[in-house]
Amino acid sequence: MKILLCEDERDLAESIQSYLKSNDILCEIATDKKSALSKISAFEYDCVLLDLMLPDGHGFDILTELKAQQKSEGIIITSAVETLDSRLEGFQLGADDYLTKPFHLSELLVRIQALVRRKKFKGNNLIDFKEVEIDLNSKSVKVNNSYIDITKKELDLLLFLIGNHNKVLSKSAIAEHLSGDMADMLDNHDFVYAHIKNLKKKLHEAGSNDYIKTVYGLGYKWQND
Amino acid sequence: MTKKLLNKTLGSYLIFSVIVLLTAAPVFYFATEALYREDADETLLINKNNFFHYSIPNMLEADIAVWNKMNRDIKIESATPALSKDTFFFQSYYDTLHAENEPYRILKTPVIIHKQPYTFTSKISLIESEDLIENIVLLFSIVLLLLLSGFYLLTKRFSLQLWKPFYKSLDYIEKFEIDKDLTVFFEESEIEEFNRLNQALTKFTVRNIRIYNGQREFIENAAHELQTPLAVFQAKIDTLFQRSDITEGQSEILSKLDDTATRLIKLNKNLLLLSKLESKQFAETETVLLNSIVEKQISFFEEQASAKNCQINLLIKEQLFVKSNPVLAEILISNLFLNAIRHNIQNGSILIKLEKNSITFSNNGINEMLVENRLFQRFNKTAHETFHFNSESSVKEERATYNKWSNAPVNSVKYLNSDSPGGLNQHLYTSGNGLGLAIIKKIADLNSWKINYNFQNNLHNFTLILPEHEI
Repeated sequence: MKILLCEDERDLAESIQSYLKSNDILCEIATDKKSALSKISAFEYDCVLLDLMLPDGHGFDILTELKAQQKSEGIIITSAVETLDSRLEGFQLGADDYLTKPFHLSELLVRIQALVRRKKFKGNNLIDFKEVEIDLNSKSVKVNNSYIDITKKELDLLLFLIGNHNKVLSKSAIAEHLSGDMADMLDNHDFVYAHIKNLKKKLHEAGSNDYIKTVYGLGYKWQND
Repeated sequence: MTKKLLNKTLGSYLIFSVIVLLTAAPVFYFATEALYREDADETLLINKNNFFHYSIPNMLEADIAVWNKMNRDIKIESATPALSKDTFFFQSYYDTLHAENEPYRILKTPVIIHKQPYTFTSKISLIESEDLIENIVLLFSIVLLLLLSGFYLLTKRFSLQLWKPFYKSLDYIEKFEIDKDLTVFFEESEIEEFNRLNQALTKFTVRNIRIYNGQREFIENAAHELQTPLAVFQAKIDTLFQRSDITEGQSEILSKLDDTATRLIKLNKNLLLLSKLESKQFAETETVLLNSIVEKQISFFEEQASAKNCQINLLIKEQLFVKSNPVLAEILISNLFLNAIRHNIQNGSILIKLEKNSITFSNNGINEMLVENRLFQRFNKTAHETFHFNSESSVKEERATYNKWSNAPVNSVKYLNSDSPGGLNQHLYTSGNGLGLAIIKKIADLNSWKINYNFQNNLHNFTLILPEHEI
């Protein structure tokens, strides 16, 4: 998978690049509008991450240009500015998602995956990791070909873990992902532990390998050992 | 004690008038009386001179008895005791005609008739003069009273008229709210001083509005500008999390950094929200049902509350339809939830009551009332902070760990909770950022709702009072 990252903050761009790289996403960086536009017309990408405030112009200009060239890339706006207006305008101009800075890299990764899945594999909404198989349409999970009983939160957690496989996820990142719009209202991340425990138990009982590892002092990780 | 300006002026006038009236009346009375007495004395002296000049030369000794018989007011009596000079005095005589005592002015003077000493006595009735004086004094008093009361009333009317622009400006300034009024307007007045005052006030308020807006914008810009470095910070921490060569001690530092970053990010988001609230970016309103917001959020917060083993009870008596920006209504309710959980105790309880025109969040917490007037200020968390350290049993242990942080090498630190990573940092979250109640207050203000706090039966009650017939 190849994506274009329009981001003038080089440190942030590099962190995103290195995080995505180990999950098989090739990330090209454009630090200004000019280079972003020339890259867009020269190459095909699966997804474009767009910062709105670029040194030589506004991210919306790139968005307009993409639509004018009838490109099919999925577009995620990553901006520090979040007003109702900027959000609405972004979606109206054809953006697919809006992620306000600051965000967790793990969150960005699953957003990219979800978007590319929607855009590229229409109809095919199956995700599998060895004996674990998730059907996004029916929101069901099969382990070794038999369904397991799973809550919506646990499914969400499972997707987040598998999407970020081999990554250490902090409790705060998991908690925020699971809380969605209410993430800002989180006061305590202990509930993550309960969900992890339940998910682990359900997968284990269905005969799955123990992929969810507790990383001492840091968080959790989906790992194939 | 303070008095109204007008009353103060009029009070002085009134006191002055009374003093003038009280002193002027007797002075006037005595002055008139003295003048009249002088007048009477002069008349008596004229009588005497006439008598001496015209009557005595022709008077025989035998005439005296006749004289006395014929004259009521001038008498000649034998000189016992003998007088040496003119003597004036007052005396009352009984008037048989009117059957009452009448005042008289009397002159006695020695007189020689045919070498015999006699006393000449002349008297004048003062009855008319007394009436006159009384009438004059009365008239004078009435005139004075009329004058003063007229003066008083006129001053009152004039002052009211005169001070009107002043009271208008005062009214305006009293109602002025820097976060609501964007412009100032004082009426032009005919009076130079008031115009000067209004100009000064205009200058003053315009300046303050500008400073206030400047500060608001500064906070908003600062919060916005912080978002990008915070994003870099968070991304670097996320990257560091993936390193496989991190030691146990380092991972603990990293976990703390992550928690701190989370706090920073939330704090900044709340600051942004507050400044957005103040710049009125949520102006559009619609009809919102508070019940559905509470019901939508309750499962999320039940999960949060379970960390403290707190029970949330919901008591719905009314359907609360309100006019509000829907986003703000949600933020308000979620902050009330958060506040009730954050400052609750282990195994505590939360009661949410939706009643007619009000919604109340009651929670356990410290067993004393919080200082209400500071409660809704930004970054006021003293009460909650103290509470936190008193109520959490693990605090001592955590503190001990903190002390080790500063004294011992990092890798020697042993942590409390092994199964749940980062579990010891819980208090970083529970201490809050001191903006929740400020946000609640601000949203209530924007919607013209009232937020009240009280402490009853060991429960902290936050009540949102909605205006009647809002919809």
